[in-house]
Amino acid sequence: MMFKRILTLRTPNSLSFLTTKTSFDTGISSTSKVISRTLSEQSTDIDIDIEKWDLLSAVCLERHPVITKSMLDIETRFHNMLQQAEFENSTISDFEMQKQNNKNRKTIQDFEDSWKEEFTNFKFAERISENEEDNAVMSLRRKLDKNLVLLVEQKIGNSNFWIPPQSIRKHRETMIQTAHRTVQELCGNNIKVKFYGNAPIGFYQYKYPKNLQERGQNGAKIFYFLAKYVSGDISSEIKHCWLDREELKKNLHPDLHKSLVKFLLPD
Amino acid sequence: MIGVLNLANAAFRASLISSSHNISTYIHPLYFRATEVLLGEPLKKKKRLDPAVVRAREERKRKKLQKRIRQLEKHANHMKPIFEIDTLPELLQNEKRTRHLSVPLSEKEIERRKSLEKEWCKYKHSQWTKDLHVINSIIKSQEIALKELKAVSKQLYKKAVEFDDLYMPYSVTGPVYTPSIKNYDNPDGEYIETTVKYIGE
Repeated sequence: MMFKRILTLRTPNSLSFLTTKTSFDTGISSTSKVISRTLSEQSTDIDIDIEKWDLLSAVCLERHPVITKSMLDIETRFHNMLQQAEFENSTISDFEMQKQNNKNRKTIQDFEDSWKEEFTNFKFAERISENEEDNAVMSLRRKLDKNLVLLVEQKIGNSNFWIPPQSIRKHRETMIQTAHRTVQELCGNNIKVKFYGNAPIGFYQYKYPKNLQERGQNGAKIFYFLAKYVSGDISSEIKHCWLDREELKKNLHPDLHKSLVKFLLPD
Repeated sequence: MIGVLNLANAAFRASLISSSHNISTYIHPLYFRATEVLLGEPLKKKKRLDPAVVRAREERKRKKLQKRIRQLEKHANHMKPIFEIDTLPELLQNEKRTRHLSVPLSEKEIERRKSLEKEWCKYKHSQWTKDLHVINSIIKSQEIALKELKAVSKQLYKKAVEFDDLYMPYSVTGPVYTPSIKNYDNPDGEYIETTVKYIGE
């Protein structure tokens, strides 16, 4: 018996709706279909599309900035002005009054000197890390003032691509579960991440080449989840790199980059 | 009569000595019978306190309480001082204190500050519009993703938009000016306890 179904698809680039009529032979009578639906919780909706499209979850893992960005010219100028106005409007403090008294000026000067010395002797960590010059893309300590995205080298078809870690959804998994599994399988158990929600934030789809399509699969639908790096390290031996926004543009496929930029905060 | 009593006595004693040859006369309610031996001593007599001592004790207790009440009443009008507030009028009264700015600003400087403020406003506005664009783009991207998911499977969509408690208490430690020093040994500070204990506290 023919089972007709109307599938509404939406292409990612154009916002127009594309309505396709797909009909296929299920080989089961409609009554038995109803029974199987009541018996098993899983609706047949899932299976219909899984036959046509591969569902993938991908994780955009970000390392957020560790240090603040250096101020722009206008920001520095305004900052200085505010500081000056603040100083001008404030009254003289007790300490300054003591300092104005000629009696113990010397001891106060000594105090100030010792404090200054303590401050200059303290070594702060460098704002510019050594890794920046080395361009060690594997390191998490590079470009501390920027958002970095994790890319891994994964095999798609016959060639390797640098993409955010992704994997195909397994049966009975929700998309977020697939995303969690992806991080664990590709990056190891040593890394701690925090997801920004169960709902996918980005979408990208592509069609498989003709010879693959004939086998039944049209293409892949990738749902992107945003996550932030908390602690730990990538323990598996997968080839990976942490890239900032500009490097991302150079290393990603242009179409994929277009759909990622939609939800990634710009620098 | 005496003979009967003697006999009874003998029988009683016999019952005490050997329990195997018990002779019992307890057949009729009117007959005599032997009570069980009580192996105990009478209770100790309660020690009686001298009423004067008791009175003295109570008196002492009352006096102690009264003293405490008197102490509290003495300081009833005296509030526990809040230093942060107390020092403020002191500062206001002190007229000697001057501001850091001794000479008024020049025309040129005032003009410079005004123009800088205008520039700052423009800069913040452009920043704000950029932020709006970014937020809009993110929302749109998520809407598209969710619509696609809904088209694929209603169930997966439902799972994705379900409320999840896990995300709610969200905390983040922001970026800092200088990164943390690796393996930094934090020295213990010294402090002097200066907290004052007030009466009634």
